[in-house]
Amino acid sequence: MGRWRALLWLGPSLALIAAVVLYPAVALVRASLSRYSITGVHQGSVGAANYARLLEQEALPTVVANTVLWVAAIVLVTVVVSLGLAQLLNEDFPGRRLVRWALIVPWAASVIMTSKLFVWIYDYYFGILNHALLALRLVTAPVDWLGNDATVMAAMIAVGIFVSLPFTTYVVLAGLSAIPGEVYEAARVDGASAWRTYWSVTVPLLRPALLVAVVLNVIYVFNSFPIVWTLNDRNPGFAHDTMITYMYKIAFKSSLRDVGLAAALGVVNVLVILVAVLLYLRTVSWREAEA
Amino acid sequence: MRRALTALGVLGAAATLLLSACDRGAERSGGSGKSITVVIAEYSKDHTKPFWQGLSEQYTKQGGVKVDLRIIDWNSIDQQVSTMIQASQPPDVLNLNSFSSYAKDQLLYSADDVLSPKTRDDFIEAFARGGEYQGKLYGFPILSSARAFFYNKDLFARAGLAGPPKTWDEFVHAARKIQALGGGVIGYALPLGPEEAQAEWAIWMWNNGGDWKSGNGWAINSDKNVQTLRFLADLANRYGVTQINPGKTNRTDGAFQLFKDGRVGMVMGFSPLAAQLDAEKKVSYGVAAMPTAAGQSVTLGVEDYLMAFKKTGNQDAVKRFLDLYYQPENITRWITAEGFLPVTKSGLQQMSSNAQLKPYLDALPNARLAPTTDPAWDRVKLDVQQNIGLAVQPGGNPKQVLDQLQKNAVVAAGSR
Repeated sequence: MGRWRALLWLGPSLALIAAVVLYPAVALVRASLSRYSITGVHQGSVGAANYARLLEQEALPTVVANTVLWVAAIVLVTVVVSLGLAQLLNEDFPGRRLVRWALIVPWAASVIMTSKLFVWIYDYYFGILNHALLALRLVTAPVDWLGNDATVMAAMIAVGIFVSLPFTTYVVLAGLSAIPGEVYEAARVDGASAWRTYWSVTVPLLRPALLVAVVLNVIYVFNSFPIVWTLNDRNPGFAHDTMITYMYKIAFKSSLRDVGLAAALGVVNVLVILVAVLLYLRTVSWREAEA
Repeated sequence: MRRALTALGVLGAAATLLLSACDRGAERSGGSGKSITVVIAEYSKDHTKPFWQGLSEQYTKQGGVKVDLRIIDWNSIDQQVSTMIQASQPPDVLNLNSFSSYAKDQLLYSADDVLSPKTRDDFIEAFARGGEYQGKLYGFPILSSARAFFYNKDLFARAGLAGPPKTWDEFVHAARKIQALGGGVIGYALPLGPEEAQAEWAIWMWNNGGDWKSGNGWAINSDKNVQTLRFLADLANRYGVTQINPGKTNRTDGAFQLFKDGRVGMVMGFSPLAAQLDAEKKVSYGVAAMPTAAGQSVTLGVEDYLMAFKKTGNQDAVKRFLDLYYQPENITRWITAEGFLPVTKSGLQQMSSNAQLKPYLDALPNARLAPTTDPAWDRVKLDVQQNIGLAVQPGGNPKQVLDQLQKNAVVAAGSR
């Protein structure tokens, strides 16, 4: 009887989860096992054939490598820079409130708008970046940041870092303010240097916050669509796509135009991110960090 | 207590969502004749929605059938229509730039089912042919446009050029002269990035005597076409008369932007570009026929379509809607507002007095259409958009790119 009553309370959230998480997941798996015509007409089940065809795609290795670089570079740089930024914002200085607010802006702005803005900042002919670099004599000729194969990925990663910084900094900042003053006092009494205090007191106590920051960022960055889509839209082929934009191109923009194949990649994407997060949590032994 | 209320509230909201989703589904798929769904691509923010909203209201007043009107931007229309069809809830009337795949999937009414003979006979013959699949008209022309050759008069004067080039030799000469002006001036803006590469490519291809197909088969890698693509690669890499990375430049935010800024001597444009140039008044430009290496200048005509989806009980309602749109005063009012070209004989008559449209209307008789009547085209187009730019990049291999496109086209033609 008691169990049923619990279900009554859980019911609403269970219904919501079923509608917005479970149903789409089931629909995705079902789509990945089906064949669709180019217009979207369902043409029956094909078993695992879409998964097999996915592995045959010539672009897949490049796309996977791009994705690893995209996620690793953004998360790593974001976390390192955020540690510094959070440390700065944790200090008391005039105008701190203003700086804290300013940091939220890239987060609050729509990522598509930010991406469009960067398209013009990076532009070969009109972009402010080339103007600035030329004026500072850091380059001798303008650079086609988004058209040059050597610079596109780095240019996109820079935008990825820019939009990831606010959230990460605030997570670290929250972690910093949760560290009690006594431990610093104890360190001082023991005669620890500033550097030593940072490494032996601050960083270990920040571990739970960093854990949250890394896991959430890995998921966000992996799933990020607008930056790559917007900054890379001029480039032919799949040389700079991540698994997310590649999935969209398979479904609607490449000559494949295959919803089933794209759904198969969608399922793979979910599994990849799940496994990556679990592996990460395991290596940092999160239970210990929690304690 | 408060929690219980919140929980109930959430449950209620979830239930409402689910119910309303089911409800909408039933209404649409049933096709009871009480309402039709009309999906229209957004040609411009200013004109598309007001016109179709007005037309829908007029339609509802006449027959009592409601219109669920959805204006969708070009970037996401393919995706949204595909989603509707996957969910077995296709629209009743759809406006798109392709139709033959839908005809092939047997989703559409033919003109015999939903157009009155008067409407059918008013279509300009070339556009009616462009909407045929296996001898029957499925893609009803909704509007058309034609490309034209735009040149910057000031830059031409500065370079000492008398007028727009007529042949490819004259074109290269003009481009080099303009490029030689220096100061970041560009001879020709060549957009072969994914946005509309197939259009730019087709114009050059046709003006060298090549084509997409030869008879019924694809001929993308014909000798003529390899020669054309080598010529375009030379423009970029040998003569250096294009903007940087033409294979990675889109039309709207790339080539057009540079021309509007006055940095470019020549570009392939169309009437909406002219409207923007007229509004900005920054560039003094001329419009001419495409330079050609084949004797007769050819331009690209683009035809967009209206399609009617087969659903039980919607035939009559759809027919009345189409008849309303194709009434001469309606279709011409919209096409004029959007700055496009007519697809009906009556429209052509009405619009021929418009001086601004003259260069495009003049080009229309020599305009050729993309092979949209072939369902394989829908894949070939995407393949060209995604890949042809690679051929004009430094170190690109035009023949290899065209060979691959041809191979994929043959596969697409044989698939399904």
